[in-house]
Amino acid sequence: MADKAKVGTMWLGGCSGCHLSIADFHESLLDVLELAQFEFSPVLCDTKYDEVPELDVLIVEGGIRNEENRELAEMLREKAGLVIAYGTCAAYGGIPGLGNLHTVEELTTEGYINSCSTVNPEGIIPNEDVPTLESRVRPLGEAIQVDLLIPGCPPKSDVVAEAILTLLNGGTIELPTTNLCEVCPREKPPAGLAMDFIKRQFEVGKPEDDLCLIAQGLVCMGPATVSLCGAQCPSIAIPCRGCYGPTAKVNDAGAKMISAIASDYGINEDKTVDPEQVADQLDDIVGTFYTYTLPAALVPAKMQKGGK
Amino acid sequence: MSDDVKIVMFCCNWCSYGGADTAGTARMQYPPNIRVIRVMCSGRIDPQFILKAFRDGADGVFVAGCHMGDCHYDAGNYKLDRRMRLVYKLVEDMGIGRERVHHDWISASEGEKFASSVKMMVNRIKDLGPSPLKAQLDAEG
Repeated sequence: MADKAKVGTMWLGGCSGCHLSIADFHESLLDVLELAQFEFSPVLCDTKYDEVPELDVLIVEGGIRNEENRELAEMLREKAGLVIAYGTCAAYGGIPGLGNLHTVEELTTEGYINSCSTVNPEGIIPNEDVPTLESRVRPLGEAIQVDLLIPGCPPKSDVVAEAILTLLNGGTIELPTTNLCEVCPREKPPAGLAMDFIKRQFEVGKPEDDLCLIAQGLVCMGPATVSLCGAQCPSIAIPCRGCYGPTAKVNDAGAKMISAIASDYGINEDKTVDPEQVADQLDDIVGTFYTYTLPAALVPAKMQKGGK
Repeated sequence: MSDDVKIVMFCCNWCSYGGADTAGTARMQYPPNIRVIRVMCSGRIDPQFILKAFRDGADGVFVAGCHMGDCHYDAGNYKLDRRMRLVYKLVEDMGIGRERVHHDWISASEGEKFASSVKMMVNRIKDLGPSPLKAQLDAEG
């Protein structure tokens, strides 16, 4: 047993969905267990924070949402040789990152007092034995040094298994540098990628087979998303929401996609289309384009004084 | 009012940068708060550039291109026009403020318009004061 690599996993500000992706390794688990041993994993073992073993590889799911997340991340970083930011929350902040559009007060009031499923007539906000929320969600890489990103919401089990096996065998891992469109089976229209209108899926109904979804008026994040997932969603007529985040060349996935959509919109009638139309047809800019990457964006949180 | 505001201005090579030259050779006066970055076409302006400017401490961003129909590459400025409408909504939603971003068309002969647009933008940003982004990020540590 002594020659096996020691692997640990941890969940921070995430939903534990990425751990299910590990639990779903299926037959690859046998290959992984040949080379490695899970020494610390809240989903598999009874973990004690004061008895964390030295680890060769630490897989961390979730971003930094509260003080406890940060403390655990720093403590585990000390124990681990190599840290993988695993899943989109750890890599880019993920869906919890949309909380950055609100202040901590707004979030706690909504969560503990106003939400319709909450009964709290005295309006008590818990403040003992509950970790304090930080001012905003941050990707793991802003709290500790991260050696590798494996994005995805969750990352596909076979991608993770392959990555871990490669690492354990001493290989290096390179994420794809191409976007989703490179691997998407749908065809771009020969006349060029043009959008004449923007619609939501229920307005379109079943999209045409084999034709690019953007050309059919759906906002597909494929152009600004890394091709790690193999275009699973567009293959079954669901527009990409960008859950794997951008390629390494892009600083800000949402801005990149805004650029792409605005250019494609009415590109064949550049000179006659009303420039305001594209903005009119998109109501929720941040929610549409920054669903998964707001904390890693160039403007990572909403400014609170209306720009003053 | 805050006097030491910084505004990043993107000018296209063929029209607006020429407009800046015209303003310069005619010795027109305009405030020094502007930093001009030349790009080949206003259609090259990615919203990332604008957000990056704010991230690095700009208080406002001004994008200038050729007048409609004058684009050296036929239709780059039309694409920018559509893109800017989305950027306005984005910066408003992110609390930076719609007014901190501006786009306009300035031809190579319009030195006067260049100077007056810069003056207008500098005054507008001076009224708004420094951008909240850097202060908020610095305060968080």
